[in-house]
Amino acid sequence: MCARCLEISRRSLLTGGAAAMAALHAGGADARVKPADMVPLVGPGFKPTEKDEQGLWKEMERVEEEIADSNLLITDPNITGYLRDLIGTVGGPAAKDFRIYLAHIPDFNAAMFPTGFAVVFSGLLLRMRNEAQLAGVIAHESGHFLRRHMIRSWRDQRRKSDFFAMGAMLAGIGGAGAGVYLGDYVQLAQLGTILSLFKYSRDMEAEADAMGAKLIAQAGYDPMEISTVWQQLIGEEQASATYRGKHRQRGSLFDTHPSDDARMADLKSDALELKVPGKHYESYRERYLATIGPVRQMLLDDQVKLNDPGASQYLIQTLAQDGWNGLLRFYEGEVWRLRNRSRLGDDVRAAQSYAAAVVYPDAPADAWRWHGIALLKEGRTGEAKAAFSKYLTMKPDAPDAAWVRQMIG
Amino acid sequence: MRKWGMAFALAASAALGGCVQTLQYADVQFTPPDGNYKLLVLRPDVTVGSLTTGGMVEPRAEWTDQARSNIIAALRAQQAARGGNVTIIEHRNALPGVSEQELADVERLNFVVDEAIVQHKYLGDTLPTKYGRGLDWTLGADAVKLGQKSGYDYALFLHAEDQVASTGRIALGVLGLAGCVVGFCAPNVGGAEQLDYASLVDLKTGEVVWFNVVDAASQVPGIKFGELRTPQGAAQMVERLLGRMRPGQDVRRQQAAR
Repeated sequence: MCARCLEISRRSLLTGGAAAMAALHAGGADARVKPADMVPLVGPGFKPTEKDEQGLWKEMERVEEEIADSNLLITDPNITGYLRDLIGTVGGPAAKDFRIYLAHIPDFNAAMFPTGFAVVFSGLLLRMRNEAQLAGVIAHESGHFLRRHMIRSWRDQRRKSDFFAMGAMLAGIGGAGAGVYLGDYVQLAQLGTILSLFKYSRDMEAEADAMGAKLIAQAGYDPMEISTVWQQLIGEEQASATYRGKHRQRGSLFDTHPSDDARMADLKSDALELKVPGKHYESYRERYLATIGPVRQMLLDDQVKLNDPGASQYLIQTLAQDGWNGLLRFYEGEVWRLRNRSRLGDDVRAAQSYAAAVVYPDAPADAWRWHGIALLKEGRTGEAKAAFSKYLTMKPDAPDAAWVRQMIG
Repeated sequence: MRKWGMAFALAASAALGGCVQTLQYADVQFTPPDGNYKLLVLRPDVTVGSLTTGGMVEPRAEWTDQARSNIIAALRAQQAARGGNVTIIEHRNALPGVSEQELADVERLNFVVDEAIVQHKYLGDTLPTKYGRGLDWTLGADAVKLGQKSGYDYALFLHAEDQVASTGRIALGVLGLAGCVVGFCAPNVGGAEQLDYASLVDLKTGEVVWFNVVDAASQVPGIKFGELRTPQGAAQMVERLLGRMRPGQDVRRQQAAR
């Protein structure tokens, strides 16, 4: 091919590329979706009528069977019943059709599947400070179903991949016929297609956020709480990164979700828009804490064992904004004990936390055990023995009971 | 979705030609079941979809249902001809005497063992410790317990997926062929592919005694090497997958010596 053609094509390629990027970026500024525009697209008892969606539903049957039988599920009827009631409150027109499963995974996540079943990770229950926050996340997942996001994304992917495949083929043939090489354009189009799929996914998330905020405000929950959820998550990620000497990851063009910062800001605007003056909004903190009470120790235990001291410490302090107690103080001690860097004074900090924990009536037995060990290290044998006795009284069948008894002498 | 990972890996390893390939492995002591045996088929995993222009697979509910009932009918006919007594269960709560959880455990265990078999027998990642030992994997005590509780001799796990090239995909292939005239020749954009695999577990010992993969892939959309939506196509698949079980290495040696 002639050198001049190549030059022209390279220049036009760059121009085209810049134009494509600019177009994406303009769209990438991601204008906020207004809650008022979010109307549910499905009614009660929705069943798919089109072939592609029916196929998707069929495929999900087996997936749900697998999840429903999973040995990772927490099946405590009080908690699963509570989650069912919540999705029944903030699930919009499909409230009665949803199924919700609680998976024992110590991570901040929840997911909605195309047929209307949701999976909530146990790590979410640890992070939520009240019922409004949890309802907000669940309403976001309901939003995905109510706005038919799964089939819409599938169709978007199908349309774009079809268009790209045909376009690439025609460019190849047309280019060959005309004697020019269009491969670079095809590659650019491929990148454009991929980026636009990610953009579409972010748009769907923004819709679900707005829909979720609207649903909880209608149910009488304070919509501002969802924005707080993101604020907490940003803080947690920041703390986690700082402790590891890293930077928190920000949004990019390849993200499936909008950045946490954008979501927090948009949700704040949503809440201001949604709140009706004079109407009273609730967060139901007591009811929430009473329900998750029986599993809270397990949730904290899972978290501190993730070996992410920055995140764990941040979480415990966030939860403690609603008041310290023996459980939180004990796990604060666990964070330092497990990090175990005596050069940074972790052993001293752990000992202080255990000592603070046992002051509260709800201190778990293990707080007394570790308090005893810390006292022993300081040479305060008499007090240590008293702490060990308390441990044995609370947990007579502890696996190390014989050893502790020998220590007391 | 690890399930798809395995299917893709298998497809990638075997799909380079437009043809039908089967590759089976057996325990060295394996003798194909014959006569009066009891076979349990656990939840046959069947999906049929449409291959879109862009190359995505769109699952189709009615094709999948059709294919599943065709495969089940073909399987019953084939096993009955061998003298076997076969039960096919569709749901985990359908096996008397065995809880859903127990069955789920065996199924999941089998799935990871199958993944290991694919990794080390089909993808070329050969294990020196298993060299020359045929198919040397076991599901252990859980499978034996399933056999004792349910009274079956063997369990068969079966996976089948098939795609039908959409009109758009065929048009893309035709265009690719037409392009040859001007010098841009791309007839092999990739067409429909059928991928099936099965593993047979001896419920007396817990061992995976036999494993087979059938890959019927076409590089040219519109040309097919299998069709699960028709009874004939399903019978062909069952025959390809299960019809020619070969005995294990030691058994064949003994037979040759005789």
